Amino acid sequence: MEIIWLPLLLGGFLMAARPLRENRPAMTAYAAAALVLECGLAAFRALSPGFSVTLGWMAEDIEIALAMDGLSRLFLLLCSALWLVCGVFSFGYLRKDKNAGWFFGVYLLVFGSMAGIACSANLLTLYLFFEMLTLTSSLLVFYSGTHEALMAGLKYLFYSIGGAFLALVGIFCLSRMDGGLVFRPGGVALDTAALGGDGALLVITFLMLAGLGAKAGMYPLHSWLPSAHPVAPAPASAVLSGLITKAGVFFAIRVVFYIVGADRLRGTWVQYAWMSLALLTVFMGSMLAYMEPVLKKRLAYSTVSQVSYVLFGLSLLTPVGMLGALLHMVYHAVAKCGLFLSAGSFITQTGCTRVDDLRGTGKPMPVTAGCFAAFGLSLVGIPPFSGFVSKWYLATGTARADIGFFQLLGPAVLLLSALLTAGYLFVPAVQAFFAPARAKTKEAPPVMTIPLILLAMLALVCGLMAQPLMDFLTPIVGAVL
Amino acid sequence: MNLISMLLAAPLCGALLAALCGKRGKYANYTALAAEVLTLLISVLLLPPVLAGQGTVLHLPTVAGGLSFAADGLRAVWAVLACFAFAMSGLVCPATLKHGHTRYQTATMLALCGTLGVFLAADLYTFFICFELMSLSSWLWVIHEGDAGAKYAADTYLAVTVLGGLVLLMGLFTFTIMSGGTPGFEELQQMDFSAFPAWMKYLAGGLMLFGFAAKAGLFPLHFWMPMAYPAAPATGSALLSSILTKCGVLGMLILSVTMFRNDFRWGETILALGVVTMLLGALLALCSVEVKRMLACSSASQIGFIAVGIGLMSLLGDENLLAVRGTMLHMVNHTLIKLVLFLGAGVFAMNCGTLDLNRLRGAGRRNPLLALAFFTGAYSVAGIPGGSGYLSKTMLHEAIVEYTEILTATGGSIVPYMHLVEELFLLAGGLTLAYMLKLFVTLFLLPPETGKKPLRMNAATMAALAIPSALLWALGLAAHPLTDRILDIMQPALTHEKTTEAIAYFSTGNLTGACISIAVGIVVYFLVVRRLLTRDGKLINVVPGWCDLERKVYRPMFLRVLPGAAGLVCRLLDCSLDGVIVLLRRFVLRDLGRPRRPVAGLWLTDALGRFCDRVLDLINRTFRRKDPVEHRSYVYIFAEKEREIAASGRLIAVSLSFGMLLACAGLVATLLYLLF
Repeated sequence: MEIIWLPLLLGGFLMAARPLRENRPAMTAYAAAALVLECGLAAFRALSPGFSVTLGWMAEDIEIALAMDGLSRLFLLLCSALWLVCGVFSFGYLRKDKNAGWFFGVYLLVFGSMAGIACSANLLTLYLFFEMLTLTSSLLVFYSGTHEALMAGLKYLFYSIGGAFLALVGIFCLSRMDGGLVFRPGGVALDTAALGGDGALLVITFLMLAGLGAKAGMYPLHSWLPSAHPVAPAPASAVLSGLITKAGVFFAIRVVFYIVGADRLRGTWVQYAWMSLALLTVFMGSMLAYMEPVLKKRLAYSTVSQVSYVLFGLSLLTPVGMLGALLHMVYHAVAKCGLFLSAGSFITQTGCTRVDDLRGTGKPMPVTAGCFAAFGLSLVGIPPFSGFVSKWYLATGTARADIGFFQLLGPAVLLLSALLTAGYLFVPAVQAFFAPARAKTKEAPPVMTIPLILLAMLALVCGLMAQPLMDFLTPIVGAVL
Repeated sequence: MNLISMLLAAPLCGALLAALCGKRGKYANYTALAAEVLTLLISVLLLPPVLAGQGTVLHLPTVAGGLSFAADGLRAVWAVLACFAFAMSGLVCPATLKHGHTRYQTATMLALCGTLGVFLAADLYTFFICFELMSLSSWLWVIHEGDAGAKYAADTYLAVTVLGGLVLLMGLFTFTIMSGGTPGFEELQQMDFSAFPAWMKYLAGGLMLFGFAAKAGLFPLHFWMPMAYPAAPATGSALLSSILTKCGVLGMLILSVTMFRNDFRWGETILALGVVTMLLGALLALCSVEVKRMLACSSASQIGFIAVGIGLMSLLGDENLLAVRGTMLHMVNHTLIKLVLFLGAGVFAMNCGTLDLNRLRGAGRRNPLLALAFFTGAYSVAGIPGGSGYLSKTMLHEAIVEYTEILTATGGSIVPYMHLVEELFLLAGGLTLAYMLKLFVTLFLLPPETGKKPLRMNAATMAALAIPSALLWALGLAAHPLTDRILDIMQPALTHEKTTEAIAYFSTGNLTGACISIAVGIVVYFLVVRRLLTRDGKLINVVPGWCDLERKVYRPMFLRVLPGAAGLVCRLLDCSLDGVIVLLRRFVLRDLGRPRRPVAGLWLTDALGRFCDRVLDLINRTFRRKDPVEHRSYVYIFAEKEREIAASGRLIAVSLSFGMLLACAGLVATLLYLLF
């Protein structure tokens, strides 16, 4: 409970208290303490026994309730760990920024929303926190205040709210079929006859999935990502891309596996449509990333592609596929946070934003460039880095699922996309090291490099020792499928 | 502690220690050498259990998704050979490397670990993981020199590696779709593939073959070898050629004796690819005027010989003993030969700073040891009786003859084709002798242009040249006591047949084959190399520049055409929803508040001007990109013209002459009316 309101309170206070915000040392101390407190508390909550509370009733039959299950714990742990790391990096990234106080305030608010999403016990609570996430995180995009940032922020709001609106339509319809819409592993008992039968349920589910695809960057509602990421500060892009897109995925998991139920979707047109859209996005995202010259935009397209790997794994509706999807959700979050942070480090140290400008940065900035290469290896899926493990499960899951032609098409597209990923991430990494060294460039300060090193080690260790994480995920998957 | 885990851990520790050496590169060299020697010692310890009839196995279920290794006769021997090659090249490293020792040695240690993993892998999954580690870390060898050529070659190598790896992975997935998992090699042997659709089996096999062939350098994926080997330092190219290609070959080998045992289509395909590679490589080597490039092409050619053997292994099914032994021995020979030759080439590169044959004429004359090493390599690879290459080529030749006889007995329709293969096999053997003669004569026999000093070599380099040379002679001369024994250890994994009698290597029939090859070689050398490929005393390369698959086909295809087409489609998809929104805003909501540009002049001149502007922009962006045409906007040019014309028009309209002209015209009209 307090993991939600405490960050909101602390963040709100930081934004409201102008003297605190403008006094740099005090602000730094306050933000650092708040961040550590929040993330520590959230991690502690995620590891301690579950709870279930009802906060109140918005209307007679609209209950606001929180609960903690395996999926919540996963999401909460992932968020708190990465939020802390990106937060530490932000102190270095924004060290010359006068408005940093604003940033940290918003940063805390968004964390509160994420914690709320993780702990929601029913669909409406989840929806409320989801909208709160959209509103608070748009402030991260607006942060720099330029015309571009405003336009990108508006685009983000438009797409997210549009997508969430589709989800809301679905919630209305679903609530006609069932009273509470409380999450239950494997799906709740829906009275489909109340609203047009099974066909209607499928249409509703598809609408919801397409709408939630906006947050997760699935075609056709993906195009806010390449606009919003280049203008947001690097740590904000990191959490936007690594974690906030995953909120869409989380919502989709809740809808499919905890409300509608995988059995109702297996073999229907909704499964195939979802799968096709995800595969299309996987290919389209990596192709566009391959052609993109601006670094952060390239990473944004890469997110479009990689998050759809996760959605594709979910759309298989098999245990192996879902395990692969959850693994990829974690690994992609680590690698993509790392990539955006390295991009931020390059940007602050060189002032350049294009991929070609990274040439020769390897010699003066060995840590940043080395970590960039490591994250690239992980994202492409080169053993023994973590991305390989998740992609292996995704592809073998596809190969073993009973989905006809997609059995062959799925792995082929995933591998083609991995090839393109190698193209768009290896080339800059190689050029960083094997081009004439760039003059007048220095390595970023430790407050920026240490988070990078931590994430890179995480990306490697998760691949070498994937068993503990898999042991953690297997019960979650086992409960719903 | 398990021997295999020690064997894999030693290079990993070596990599860590070498990486920690940082800027003290000298220590990295010695660390790596120590690790290599240690690994060699451990690998030799694998042999006693194998000789006693039991292998060593290792399962690591928690590491990287579950790895498993096993050392039977074949794998143990290859592990020893790999460690041996790495140790020999490690001996030369301190003398040849100029910079970046730390990076190079770290990569070498990782590559050693990967290579050992590939050779010892007990299932396809482990094989793949180690294959990737080996391929990617060896990329650092290719890019090591860091010049433009090395970068170009390294890009190609990386692209081939990544593409090959992913296609191989797709093969594994197809296998999974077919059978529900990726089995160990033992299970693979016993699996019944008739239960699965044939196209699935061939798809899986074909995809895996692509991945293996990319590493082995089989046509049409041979193109990276003549680029990557010359780019890497000699020690790296020696390992790339002698050991790393064998990882790909081993993959093909395993598939051919398990999934595709007795499979006609598979065997024929590999055989055909082998024949093409064998001849093409030999021809390219004959035309090369650069030592390492020639050796690289020779590598491709020898891999072709091996592939012919692998094809025969699959075709001959359960009677493939000769093919197995010939292929195995040729692989071992090629490993040792290329080790000697590439390390020898490194001595030239280090002393003379060039590998151009024309500038190295007679450069090695006063170096008996170097000459002996090159002689050993050339003698052996050319298949002259007494060298170890003779034994392997004889067995391969016998296998071709055996298969032809079986086909003749059963009335197969491709008997003439097999006769052709036999002739081409002998021809390729002759070409091998010809290019090796060319290499040896130019380097060691021709008179030097100026009084060149003897080349310098340190003791370690001498040892690295002498030991493999001695081994090659031992293999060639002690055919029955030594070579046959080694082959006996290796063959159980590949064939069910047991050796019944020793092969008479020096029978008349076998010697005749060798004599034909030698005769062809000598004729080709004197007629082609001395006449056609030499002009004014200089060797020339007659391969035309457009004959470059990579530059003319693969690069444009993969860098321009495919991404261009797919990118266009994706861009359209990407913009689809945004486009719809923009259209809606413009036509339904009409809220695009951008002020309209005022029309300059008439709307006609405005439109025309804008059209001309766009055309010129397009021209500037396409045809005249380097030298764009500067111009003012045509909109304004046309608007001015229009105004000028209007002004002069008004002037005319108000003048007296114009009035009189009109009056005249009226009179003429009246007149005409009256007349008609």
